Amino acid sequence: MRDDDILTGVILEEACLTLEQVASVCSVTPDWVRLHVEEGLLSSVTDSATEQRFTQRELWRARHMHRLERDFDAAPELAALVADMLEELVRLRAHVRRAGLR
Amino acid sequence: MDFKDYYQTLGVARNATAEEIKKAFRKLARKYHPDVSKEADAEVRMKEVNEAYAVLSDPEKRAAYDQIGQGYQPGQDFRPPPNWEPDFRSGAGRAYSQAEAADFSDFFSQLFGQRGGARAGGGDFQARGADFQARGQDQHAEVLLDLEDSFNGATRQINLRVPKLDDKGRITLDDRTLKVKIPKGVREGQMIRLNGQGGAGYGNGEAGDLLLEIHFRPHPRFRIDGRDLYLTLPVAPWEAALGGVVPVDLPDGGQLKVRIPEGAQSGRQLRVRGKGIPSDPPGDLLLDLQVVLPPASTPQARELYETMARELAFDPRAETRT
Repeated sequence: MRDDDILTGVILEEACLTLEQVASVCSVTPDWVRLHVEEGLLSSVTDSATEQRFTQRELWRARHMHRLERDFDAAPELAALVADMLEELVRLRAHVRRAGLR
Repeated sequence: MDFKDYYQTLGVARNATAEEIKKAFRKLARKYHPDVSKEADAEVRMKEVNEAYAVLSDPEKRAAYDQIGQGYQPGQDFRPPPNWEPDFRSGAGRAYSQAEAADFSDFFSQLFGQRGGARAGGGDFQARGADFQARGQDQHAEVLLDLEDSFNGATRQINLRVPKLDDKGRITLDDRTLKVKIPKGVREGQMIRLNGQGGAGYGNGEAGDLLLEIHFRPHPRFRIDGRDLYLTLPVAPWEAALGGVVPVDLPDGGQLKVRIPEGAQSGRQLRVRGKGIPSDPPGDLLLDLQVVLPPASTPQARELYETMARELAFDPRAETRT
């Protein structure tokens, strides 16, 4: 592999993912994302062009929620609750690491 | 290529009902869920369980697997029959994405096609007309970096499997190696987008993007929180009591001189602004002071401690008394 084969990417802004990107990465339809936003299970921000944008955190939540709904036939609200708890778990583990306890 | 016994993977009998298979899958999906499982090989086992369920939950695939796998034992050398045409598009079983299909084994690819009915964007595009055209799927992958990579920038080699169209217009999985420049200042959880490096487009559709999610390996000295770095800084009792300037080695190889304020105690935190992850804006370096006592292992050291005990009249438990 030559040096000119090296790919240079773009660091994404905090809230820059489009609804279609979230759907594509999660292998769900855009309607799945729309419905979860309408139900308040996923959050989006609206940019100046009135287009919905999603943070990387929301992408993480969408991926987990989709898998839980699919693998366990979980109701969307239950999948969102589990995603909330997984987020809390990640946050607490990071806290433990920061405190040098693990 | 080794034969895989999907029934054994899920722990069900060969005549298990669809309900029994679903129940067994859910039990194992819970056991090996990568976010909570304590099993050392949880991720690998979850992929095996996903693959087994993708086959056994789909009546068409299960029937084909039962027929072709008759007489085979797990791990036995396996070759599909010469006239075997993998073409499964019913999608009746558990839906799985191209990214998940990329994790399935060669055994699965040989039996059911490399894509094996994986879905893009929630739909099964294989069933659509020949003139169908669509953008390729955006893909997501995690990259594990060292903290030093964020300070110095780096080039990392990434191996991944992405779907692409072969000469006959069929979807295959392509093992690819990418060399990616990691820009200075990246931080945990950030994403780097590589345009056009995701799944291949369909028809004349353009390729999707590859989104790389950044994670850091645990560092032996520094702890990372977003832009900020945490470091436990050991100091001698006289440095803490009298104040002083101590050196701190940074992840980029540089060194910082930090002033310890007079009267510092263990547990006190010092913030050095702008010396965390070199992002825009840069993070801070937070130093947790830890006073370390010299051992009283020589007569001279013992004498010094005895002098302090005698002269200082220091009671460390004074505030704990009622």
